[in-house]
Amino acid sequence: MNLMKRLITLFSILALCAASLARAGEDQKSDACCAIEEGRDAWVMNFDGDWKVASGLAEKAMLISLQGLTNRDAPRLYIVHPPDFQWEITGPLFEFYQRKHNVDFTDVATADDALTLFSKYAKGYVVWDKTVGASLNVAFTIAGLKDAVVVSEELIPLVEKHGLKQIDDLRGDFVDMSDAAIYQDSYDKYWEQCSHEKIMLLGGHRGREMQPGVADWGIKNKMFFHDLSANPKHPEELALTKRIYQQMAPGSFVFGWHPYGKDTEEQATTLLSSFGFKMEGLHNLPNLSFNSQFTFTKGFKFTNNHRVARDAKLVAEEKVYISFVQSDSIGIGVWTKPGRGKLPFGWQVTMNWSSFSPAALEYFHESATPNDYFIGGLSGPGYMYPNHIPEDRFFLLMDEAKGMMDLLDERIMEIMDNSAADGNVGNTDLTKETVDRYYKAFPDVLGFINGYGPARTRDLRDTRPMISYDYYIDPKRPRDAVTDDLNELITLNSKRPYFLLVHVRESNDVNSLVQVTKELTGPIEIVPVDVFLKLAASKKTYTTRYQDPDEPKHFEGF
Amino acid sequence: MKLTAFKRIFLGGIAALFLTALASANPELAGRWRLDTARSSALDGWHTMDLVFDLDGSQISIKHEMRWRRTNYRATNIVDTAKSVASDKFFRVEQRHMAVYPTKGGVSHTTAEWIDADRTLRTETNTPVEVSQGDVNMRITSEYRIGEGGETLVLIELHSSRARPLVYFFNKINEEDAK
Repeated sequence: MNLMKRLITLFSILALCAASLARAGEDQKSDACCAIEEGRDAWVMNFDGDWKVASGLAEKAMLISLQGLTNRDAPRLYIVHPPDFQWEITGPLFEFYQRKHNVDFTDVATADDALTLFSKYAKGYVVWDKTVGASLNVAFTIAGLKDAVVVSEELIPLVEKHGLKQIDDLRGDFVDMSDAAIYQDSYDKYWEQCSHEKIMLLGGHRGREMQPGVADWGIKNKMFFHDLSANPKHPEELALTKRIYQQMAPGSFVFGWHPYGKDTEEQATTLLSSFGFKMEGLHNLPNLSFNSQFTFTKGFKFTNNHRVARDAKLVAEEKVYISFVQSDSIGIGVWTKPGRGKLPFGWQVTMNWSSFSPAALEYFHESATPNDYFIGGLSGPGYMYPNHIPEDRFFLLMDEAKGMMDLLDERIMEIMDNSAADGNVGNTDLTKETVDRYYKAFPDVLGFINGYGPARTRDLRDTRPMISYDYYIDPKRPRDAVTDDLNELITLNSKRPYFLLVHVRESNDVNSLVQVTKELTGPIEIVPVDVFLKLAASKKTYTTRYQDPDEPKHFEGF
Repeated sequence: MKLTAFKRIFLGGIAALFLTALASANPELAGRWRLDTARSSALDGWHTMDLVFDLDGSQISIKHEMRWRRTNYRATNIVDTAKSVASDKFFRVEQRHMAVYPTKGGVSHTTAEWIDADRTLRTETNTPVEVSQGDVNMRITSEYRIGEGGETLVLIELHSSRARPLVYFFNKINEEDAK
């Protein structure tokens, strides 16, 4: 090789080295500017879908109680549920924690393995009685207070193998006792030691299957567990519920869900709303003890997909304007189904997740398409029925809601009051007094939407319309019938513009709705809900209406 | 024009025949009919429906027994093949997830006739409904077609506001089986 070649080779090597060094520097800079959180170790278990008392429940209840204890002071154990579980996001959120929070998960294959790792966080075990469903709730209460795992009798050898001693044994304690008597006994023994700001209404599925997925959160926070009925047909249970609620702090949270078959969602929610409490569902909401210990990632800020400026003035044309909203909390249902993003959709955000499950909200925000728009709700800083919120609590609660809406960059408040309804049909209207309060409490919103099933509450004050759902899409309703229903509404509401607000039940799929929209007749425009409300403010073709005291109420109180 | 006795008898006979024709009724319609949900248009906000017909001369009582979850609802429409009937309690088998409600205090008018050799009771109702833009009229044309042998009934319901009819298939059941 001559000198020239040697020099060329040398320069080439130097140039390559310099380029590599430069790239390395850029990489380091890149890491610095977009630093993901400092990582942490955690463990993950995969659950199957068997929640039957006779088979899968016992082990799951034990593991969930262990999760509550294990996660008490740090997020250690996360549970992934099958994709067909009601909360479909446990898988996507698992991936999110790894990617955005740099969590390094280790699989835990069996209950035995879980106890090997985590039994150190328990001081013993409490035995529940599989023949008495309420005993599981009593056991969860004890678990929170005494740092116990909850076991049925067949699991005793397993936990004893890991050195845990018996703290309590409820077998045979509640034979032939009513639920009211069981919980009275539990109240007498444990209520004073439990949180008076949070309570666990662990109802939902009852009988042969139970899904106490949220129990970890109750155990972590030493809550009182029960599934007392709010049904006047069960006066003793109702009286005990009221007695407990009367001792709780103003603005308390009720976690969980009402007990299926004993009372109704309407009864339970009406009751807690009348105390000014906030409901956070459901009974099977998983991983709160884990999720609650993460914050938003560094530098993250919610920015909603606003399609219209707050002070913009739009003018409606001679058209039918349609907007779709899903309000069953975006952690369940449509969000993970194919087709999202093909239509403009409003999503009611469970705003309290900004405290209890920030990563979930960040995940939704991150995975939102330009057609996804977030709105506040439901009715306030939690699920509640505003017709029944005491006036002295209403504005304090709505101040909380406004703070969360600001954080989440939301400009629309969704309201729902099914206290007089019959499931998702019937009377879902707001009294004029309630409407007045919302207008006073939220001077800066674009507007309000109301209902779950269809409703008739409508108003327009300054630039803020209040529009109720004109249609609710039952996921089981054949799509051609949905098309005919919507076309019939368009025919009956013959003035233009017509503002047709549609509530999409959680388990609908968006692709089928795309087909429906193609078969609608008339000058249709599907618009995001912020645009919808702006247009509705420009030309009021709808009536002003509130709940009429003469209208039938399915449920009239306790 | 002055009517002779003969003419009076003749015209009276014609009128009687006309009224008889209007008032004629197919007794097979009477009784209880239960919706075959699998074959029928999907109910919305109702799970089951029984129709119970009572016939009294030209008057026909159509009782709806509806169930939604634990809610049982009963409503009866009276129609008359001899005259139009006005009612402020007309019951429409609502699609309950639509914001379409009976107008408060609204009066519905229904006419009825037997057609197709008395195999079909045809009714037409003009009923005021409340929608988000106010009160509007809905015309509902219903045909209750009795099947051969009198054991099946098809209700075809057409709304002035709906392109496709709702079609409900029923089977006759006795009251004992209904309990």
